[in-house]
Amino acid sequence: MAPLFYIFAVLAILAALSVVLQRTPVYSALSLIVVLCSLAVVYLLLGAEFLAVIQVIIYAGAIMVLFVLVIMLLNARQETPSDRSRLARWLGAPLLLVFLGELLFAVWERFPAATTRAAALPDAGPRAVGALLFRSYVLPFEVTSILILVAVLGAVVLAKKRL
Amino acid sequence: MEVLLLLILLPPLAGAVLNGIFGRRFPQAVVSAVACTAPGLSLFFALLTAWTFAHLPTEPAPYVHSYFTWIEAGAFRADFALYYDRLTLVMTVAVTLVSFLIHLYSRGYMEQEGGYYRFFAYLNLFLFMMLTLVTAANYPLMFVGWEGVGLCSYLLIGFYFPRKSASDAGKKAFIVTRIGDVGFTLGVVLLFWTFGSVDFQYVFTRLEALPPGDLQGSLTAVGILLFLGAVGKSAQLPLYVWLPDAMEGPTPVSALIHAATMVTAGVYMVARSHALYAHAPLALEIVAVTGCVTAFFAATIALAQNDLKRLLAYSTISQLGYMFVGCGVGLFSAGNFHLMTHAFFKSLLFLAAGSVMHALSGELDLRKMGGLRHQMRTTWLTFLVATLAISGVPGLSGFFSKDAILAGAREGPLGDPRLYWLATVTAGLTAFYMFRALFMAFHGASRVQPALEPHVHESGGKMTRPLLVLAFFSVVAGYVSLPKALGGGEWFHHYLQPVFASSQALLSSTAAPAAGHAPSRLAVMGTSVLFAGAGFLLAYLGYVKFTGLPSRLTECFRGTYQLLVNKYYVDEVYDWLIVRPLRRGSEIFLWRIVDAGAIDGLLVNGSAQATASAGNLLRRMQSGNLRSYATWVLLGAVLWLGYILLR
Amino acid sequence: MITVQADDLVRILPQAILAGFAILVMVFEPFLPAARKTLLGWFSLFGVVAAGAATIRTSFSPGLAFGNSISADRFSLFFICLFLLVAALTLLGSFHSLERENINHGEFYALLLMATVGMCFMAASTELIMIFLGLEISSLATYVLAGFKRQDALSNEASLKYFLLGSFATAFFLYGIAVVYGLTGTTNLLVLSAQLGRSGEFRPGAVFAWVALLLMFVGLAFKVSTVPFHVWTPDVYQGAPAPVTAFLSVGPKAAAFAVLLRIFLGAFASAGSGVFWVFWASAILTMCLGNLAALLQSNVKRLLAYSAIAHAGYVLVGIAAGRGEGTAPVLFYLTVYALMNVGAFLLVAHLAGTGERWTRIEDFTGLGYQRPAVAACLAAFMLSLAGFPTTAGFFAKFYIFRAAVHSGLIGLTIVAVLTSVVSVYYYFRLIVVMYMREGKAEAASASLPWALRVALAISVVGIFYLGLYPTDFLLLTNLAAVPLP
Repeated sequence: MAPLFYIFAVLAILAALSVVLQRTPVYSALSLIVVLCSLAVVYLLLGAEFLAVIQVIIYAGAIMVLFVLVIMLLNARQETPSDRSRLARWLGAPLLLVFLGELLFAVWERFPAATTRAAALPDAGPRAVGALLFRSYVLPFEVTSILILVAVLGAVVLAKKRL
Repeated sequence: MEVLLLLILLPPLAGAVLNGIFGRRFPQAVVSAVACTAPGLSLFFALLTAWTFAHLPTEPAPYVHSYFTWIEAGAFRADFALYYDRLTLVMTVAVTLVSFLIHLYSRGYMEQEGGYYRFFAYLNLFLFMMLTLVTAANYPLMFVGWEGVGLCSYLLIGFYFPRKSASDAGKKAFIVTRIGDVGFTLGVVLLFWTFGSVDFQYVFTRLEALPPGDLQGSLTAVGILLFLGAVGKSAQLPLYVWLPDAMEGPTPVSALIHAATMVTAGVYMVARSHALYAHAPLALEIVAVTGCVTAFFAATIALAQNDLKRLLAYSTISQLGYMFVGCGVGLFSAGNFHLMTHAFFKSLLFLAAGSVMHALSGELDLRKMGGLRHQMRTTWLTFLVATLAISGVPGLSGFFSKDAILAGAREGPLGDPRLYWLATVTAGLTAFYMFRALFMAFHGASRVQPALEPHVHESGGKMTRPLLVLAFFSVVAGYVSLPKALGGGEWFHHYLQPVFASSQALLSSTAAPAAGHAPSRLAVMGTSVLFAGAGFLLAYLGYVKFTGLPSRLTECFRGTYQLLVNKYYVDEVYDWLIVRPLRRGSEIFLWRIVDAGAIDGLLVNGSAQATASAGNLLRRMQSGNLRSYATWVLLGAVLWLGYILLR
Repeated sequence: MITVQADDLVRILPQAILAGFAILVMVFEPFLPAARKTLLGWFSLFGVVAAGAATIRTSFSPGLAFGNSISADRFSLFFICLFLLVAALTLLGSFHSLERENINHGEFYALLLMATVGMCFMAASTELIMIFLGLEISSLATYVLAGFKRQDALSNEASLKYFLLGSFATAFFLYGIAVVYGLTGTTNLLVLSAQLGRSGEFRPGAVFAWVALLLMFVGLAFKVSTVPFHVWTPDVYQGAPAPVTAFLSVGPKAAAFAVLLRIFLGAFASAGSGVFWVFWASAILTMCLGNLAALLQSNVKRLLAYSAIAHAGYVLVGIAAGRGEGTAPVLFYLTVYALMNVGAFLLVAHLAGTGERWTRIEDFTGLGYQRPAVAACLAAFMLSLAGFPTTAGFFAKFYIFRAAVHSGLIGLTIVAVLTSVVSVYYYFRLIVVMYMREGKAEAASASLPWALRVALAISVVGIFYLGLYPTDFLLLTNLAAVPLP
């Protein structure tokens, strides 16, 4: 299991980097599909089959299709570099590296040796997820709908020609 | 009684509110009616309260009434409470009386000026704050009044705000007194730490029960810190620099705030805290020495001033110094006596100066006056009375009060011959510069500019009548405390005795007896009169008899004269020592080090474009560039995280 | 495993009512002609009042709800009331200025209510997931509100900057939650707090746990704009429509402080002094930079933005003072700050005129003579912001400083006092300009609409009430500070 995990984890990270670094929007979108799919594999490896399937269907399927469609509709060209910030150019990447180093250091401190814990994976089937979602986490679930409503409203406000 | 006390305070507040809000729509007559009724009512109630107080069974014990709890936070508690004893009585009556007269005078003086309603609203507000200051029953409330009078003074100094010098002077007053206020605040905090209360009655009772020598250290510190506040407010060395500039304000303001009332708040505060200073002789000595040196120092500057109002301002500083000497040697009643008489004759001087200014279309230069006594008889007469009073000519109020201080400097619990001699010399200087001003303005040949000559006139009754009333008080106010040596009963001194008795007793018992034998009271009087006479004679010789003499003398002592004319260059020294380094420092720090140095210089272009102002750092940080902003956020996260990991 | 009961619903009644009104506003919006949209504003105001009434109902059945993820305690109710007050003041102040800018749309009111819902959830939740959702709701709504002047380039830019940087910062917060969950298997603050109680120190995984806390701090610090996470503030405050700025400078900030209090002085208060120095240093940096930068501003909105940054620094002083001392003063400070800042921004918004043309300090020249009452209001706000005695701002600072001194933070207090002395200068600049310069204030044209008058009256009366009789309210804050989990 472990090698598979590392392969897909690294793949996810690389693809995510590619999302950010690509200058052509469609490439970014395609890289995002790779990220989402590799995450789905990681879920699968952790025993969450249901989540993995949902991840592929909703994100990699529905949402990505929408993304690509929008990109094509807008006829988005290659992004022109607009970097005028000297601060970001000189400090951005080093700071990111330091930040990453700090996080790794913390992880290292916490998990000095690669101990694998074979804890019993909880049941993550549709029934269990559903029960969690509509019982223990019913409030977050409902409140998420407000969040989505706000997002829709915001999109309308910002994008609609005449309010 | 508690209602009466409030009634002293409220009329000016009501007047300020009325005039402040509706004044713009009122005709001038209504504005001035409202504005003058307020101090009139206050005076009436102050007298009524005095009468009621005198008939209280507990008199002379202080009367304290708490209206409501103002601040309560844990152990810290301050009420909106008023404190009334004989000292408060004297202060409220004097303050309301003088300010009533000055309000009346201002009706005429400000007639032609813009912002009539604004002026009176500020003036009323000032009176309210001043009364709050003198009636407060705890230090925080006193501080409210303290800050309030400062604010009003700041607003009124800058009243002619289109003049840059006026608004600068306002700013200067604000900043300089603030330095003192920091001391005051720290003093109150320290007091709270020492006693767990800031209430006058509680603290003073505790202090009276305290065995001498206890808590010496912290009480001395409190005393010095509080005195620092007084130094700022009462314009003593080294924080006196704002007062001469404050003369940019309208003259009635100079008379009321910067001569008669606000600047004496420091003296009042020291006197009010007498119980504290009684336990801190060292702090008291500092008070006395500062006062004495200031008195002398300011008097020497006044010698060479040609601007009438500035001359009076330095004279005020000098006289305030006297009051601190009075308090500092342990004779608080003497300090307050001089405070009261000074309020009358100094406001009279200022108002008379204002009358002159009015006649000469704002001219203040003594060299461009002369011979005015013919055209302006009343003004001349009243100015003369005030000059006689301030110079300490026997029979007038200033003589008695100054004499009480001089005698105190010699015989008082903390008296010292050096203080006495310096103060006596200062008395001579005072006589000289005051008569010099009198002679230059009113006597001799006219040096008024020809264009102005035909317009010179006596001011109207609105202005001269208050002058006459003040002149009356300047003459008689001294008789409330006629010294024993002259067959008097020192009534004022005895009246305040219950207030200060315990402190004076304590001071007399702890202080070492003054070295040498004290000269008799008559000798003290004689000496001071002698010095004053010498001052007068010199002025007479120099400015009436042999008018050429002063210029020849100044030729001879050019250096000294320049030093005096330029006020010992103190303003310049402050500018060099404090203002400029601060400005430079902030520029260098903000622009060079932080901005260009850290970000641009080291990392980007090796410190190239280094000529802009301090704003550049923030403009750089605030470049508007999203990526930069994100970098800052990341930088913050990295730094904090790094700290946590390295901890 | 939980089942939802009637009490659970009562305990989120205010939020539910607000959300319901927001939805109703959107439903009614298409049926109203463009000229009548203000009706929706009044309707929203009614919703806020109704939510306030619901808060009273909620206060009668305090307790936990929804499987310990919501806590209807005095602390959260205090904040909900504060948010409702802010929302009400903003609504009152926005009617006229929205009409003037020609952006009077129902969406504005709906978004404002939704943002308030989010803030209420932030303050009331004891579950990190819920806090995050609340944070996202209020953030998304405010991102859009900042860009509500769609024709205005500055407003658009403000919205975009706020959105991108906000998302960046929220990611830190979310990552922090993820780490907490990874370490402990729970995101519930009560459970976490209990775990801490057992072991005495933030276990398991000390260092990593600190990292988690710190990441959450970064996300919240962005919202309260402490240095160096403040960079967005001036640009966004300047660009956003002024009523939105009024809301923005107070609401989300107070909500984020509520979360900071709940996490750092509540759940993890016993975790030791690890983050203490972070608060300490943040407070110093924030106070110094905010005040110094404000000295150099010539635009009133920007000046107030930096002043808002500086005030966050003072609140941080209160947090650094720690649990026993600091909480109540912080609550007091936030309330006072809300009153004076909303008032100041609303007034500036009004005076700025159509298109917010007059926001330079010089535009207020001589205002004191042309509009004495208006200028007096603004002067009162400035005095209070500067911390002048007899105004509430004085006591707010006073209690914070006192708490800091009691906790032995002498150095921090000295810096705080010194910087507040500096702050007097720039607040007074506005007063000086209004009263001591002659000129015709550009900003003095239109008369005050009475809705705005009501809002200003509430703020001014509040400032002086709390400045003269702070005791009762202080007791209230002491009560509200007790039930921190």
